[in-house]
Amino acid sequence: MFVIITYDINEERVNKVRKILKRYFVWVQNSVFEGEISIGKLEKCKKELQLVIVPEEDSIYFYIIENKNNYAKSILGLEKNMDSYIY
Amino acid sequence: MQKDLYIFSSGTIKRKENTIYFEPKEGEKKYFPIENISAIHLFGEVDINTKALNFFAQNNIIIHVYNYYGYYSGSYIPREKNVSGELLVKQVEHYLNKEERMYLAYSFVEGALFHMQRNLREYENTEEFIFKIKQELEKAGTCNDINELMGCEGRARDAYYDAFNVILKGKFLFEKREKRPPKNPINALISFGNSLTYSAVLSEIYKTQLNPTISYLHEPRERRFSLSLDISEIFKPLITDTIIFKLINNNMLKDEDFDQDVNYCYLSESGRKKFIKEFETKMDTTIKHRKLGRNVSYRFLIRLECYKLIKHLLKDEIYKPLKAWW
Amino acid sequence: MELSQELRITGVKINYLYVCERKLWLFDRGVCMEHTSDKVLLGKLIDEFSYPKEEKRRILIDDLICIDILDEEEIREIKYSDSLEEPNRMQILYYLYYLKKLGIYKKGILNYPKQRKREIVELTPEKEREVEDAIKRVEEVIKRETPPPVEKKKYCRKCAYFEFCFVSE
Repeated sequence: MFVIITYDINEERVNKVRKILKRYFVWVQNSVFEGEISIGKLEKCKKELQLVIVPEEDSIYFYIIENKNNYAKSILGLEKNMDSYIY
Repeated sequence: MQKDLYIFSSGTIKRKENTIYFEPKEGEKKYFPIENISAIHLFGEVDINTKALNFFAQNNIIIHVYNYYGYYSGSYIPREKNVSGELLVKQVEHYLNKEERMYLAYSFVEGALFHMQRNLREYENTEEFIFKIKQELEKAGTCNDINELMGCEGRARDAYYDAFNVILKGKFLFEKREKRPPKNPINALISFGNSLTYSAVLSEIYKTQLNPTISYLHEPRERRFSLSLDISEIFKPLITDTIIFKLINNNMLKDEDFDQDVNYCYLSESGRKKFIKEFETKMDTTIKHRKLGRNVSYRFLIRLECYKLIKHLLKDEIYKPLKAWW
Repeated sequence: MELSQELRITGVKINYLYVCERKLWLFDRGVCMEHTSDKVLLGKLIDEFSYPKEEKRRILIDDLICIDILDEEEIREIKYSDSLEEPNRMQILYYLYYLKKLGIYKKGILNYPKQRKREIVELTPEKEREVEDAIKRVEEVIKRETPPPVEKKKYCRKCAYFEFCFVSE
């Protein structure tokens, strides 16, 4: 499945969160990650994040698209990472 | 699910913040998700240190290295985690036993020739070539040794490549298969595509308990991961060649995609990137598997071929090569 | 019955005996598929991230038996799903049996954190005979020269070995 992640994290912890997300997803914009992932790996990522965030202050949204064909991305302005795995 | 990472730029690849970090000589520095990458292909001039290599080994990531011309030159394979002594013994036994070896070698040829015919059937005016391949396949069934079998395979492949001029409607002329160096665009495309297929098969073998150096059609002494050559035979027509037909017949290639002179022709960086994009799309394409009843990708079909081979070696179920039914 | 030194059976093998003899045979030969499975990963996560306060976790005994959590009174085994109760029960009974041979007497607890369920397992003389029988059966299965044939079970599709077993062309 394809996942888009956005987050709002207290400054003290944001680097830790970003560090975890970088291991699973492609960093596309300031507070946005995206990428294809398996259910197991997503669960693993969430467990690691849970150990870092403070649930009363931080939030992370996961937008899940089961079938990648059901999503289209259109861009205005600068596009980063056109082909995220060919560099 | 996991992706392959292709690096064309020159620079340094590192372990940073517990993931993959690439620092190009020019351009933007980038992180890549270690948890989601199964192999790295290096085309550019890339520096790498042992800290990074150890990290990739921990994460079971294979690194395939390609030379200046874009051809496979070697792999960094982490210490095998999936080992089965018993399976290795069986693999060797099947090599040493002439009948067993011939059966497997024939099966790889059978799969290859089936897919060559399947490709040709998609196009008009290819009957004579299909007929020749069919004849060679029949002969292959009666061969007594590997050399004879290789001969049949070679002649079938010649007929198959002869048909390329019909399939490609003369857009690029193809005279004969030349490898070292390739001298025209078609040869360049075939060589590059086969390199990618070979490394993709090796990546899948690595995920199983098969030993990649013991093979049946090719001689293990070819100083390569020759089992990967064996299994690639089945997939080359299915993957490499269909991409070539698409790229050429849809006019997707331009002059600048080749690096050409009187004596050689290679794919340029833009050409390689185009090919890889199509290659990855193909590998991710899924079909409904009629025995498993679930969708499987082309990449996973390669793994399934390895499983079938393991089952054969364990005397569980006789190996029958993949024959695309869709 | 004395535990023979050569016959080193892990808990997983006892578990697999009750899940599927073919899986047991393949696993014993090193033809393992666990590393390819997302479900196995989910199971591992449950094991790793449940009960973070427990200290004695993943205790290895005799370099053979791996116990998830070791307490004063009991040993605990954490499982992802309660759909295979019998194999899980036999696995923990085997641990209890093994510990008893070492002179350690404990109770067993099966934890299913996802279902918020637990089950207490005790080694009775009758269960002990069942474990001994299971050990013998494991031995018989792994002695076979070829893998036991595929047997269609209702949980095959969820197994890490599914593709391996059912691919044939």
